[in-house]
Amino acid sequence: MNASDEGEELDPRAAAALLEETTRRAQRQFDLRRPLLMVIGAAVVLIAYGVLWLSVRGQHPYSGPAGWALAVLYSTLLVWIIVVATFYRRATSGVSGRSARQQKADAAAFIPIWITVYVFQGALHHAGASHAIVYGIYPAAAPIIIVGSAAAAYNVAKENWPWVGFAVAAVALAAIGSFAGPAGVWAVIGIGLCVLLLARAAGQVWLRRA
Amino acid sequence: MTTEELDPLIHVPARLRIIATLAALPDGDALSFTRLQDMIGLTPGNLITHLRKLEDAGYVDTEKTGNGTASRTTVALTHVGRTALDTYTAALRDLLAGL
Repeated sequence: MNASDEGEELDPRAAAALLEETTRRAQRQFDLRRPLLMVIGAAVVLIAYGVLWLSVRGQHPYSGPAGWALAVLYSTLLVWIIVVATFYRRATSGVSGRSARQQKADAAAFIPIWITVYVFQGALHHAGASHAIVYGIYPAAAPIIIVGSAAAAYNVAKENWPWVGFAVAAVALAAIGSFAGPAGVWAVIGIGLCVLLLARAAGQVWLRRA
Repeated sequence: MTTEELDPLIHVPARLRIIATLAALPDGDALSFTRLQDMIGLTPGNLITHLRKLEDAGYVDTEKTGNGTASRTTVALTHVGRTALDTYTAALRDLLAGL
């Protein structure tokens, strides 16, 4: 195709097909929340929460995740961060303007929220809370409840209803999953969050095809 | 309705792809010339020719920053361009409905 296609007769059906295909391809390339990323996220959640559950199940009294499980957790998280960064760099390459500034502002708000979740965990430990709370129920559920609530409010402001539904469901899952106790909470939230992410990925694929 | 009623500036394969690609970005965002070229698959010369026509009509806005090897050109769809694409899409839909 070149500048000389000026005189090229473009059939309306071909124009409609070209417009649809180009729009779909561009949206896919600019998309930061690709279904594939959510499927990978589901696997990461299942592995991370799964190994923690394997290391704590049957503990009496509850002492917390074993060192090997934490090593697997941090390795999995590292892989996840690399995957997300790669997807993000590809999607945002060459894009500038309002949404790029918005993403920086979002990060500036959400990173401190993540940090305070773990500062508060330190405060619980300092106050003498039991291992079941400090190394069980709190780290399994609190990050999802706190960050999920912030994400729900953020998406309400943007009228992004599918993501509001996802965030609220994740918060509810974490809150209800906490009743499973310090060991069971890892399994319940791990499986539940994995299912939610897969459902969200399927929903996104369905919406795109509709 | 006939094909003559479709915006002749958009109703060209290369420019239709340029406009549709830029329209996929959120309002207020711009795309670098190199990424746009990569996505559209045109040579730099051809892309410049088409962009100049779109810019003359007020459909896109190009901005060059920096000098020499550090220079960077960004392209953004204007409100006029977005409206023109909406009008073109509606006209195309009417045309296809009548076929």
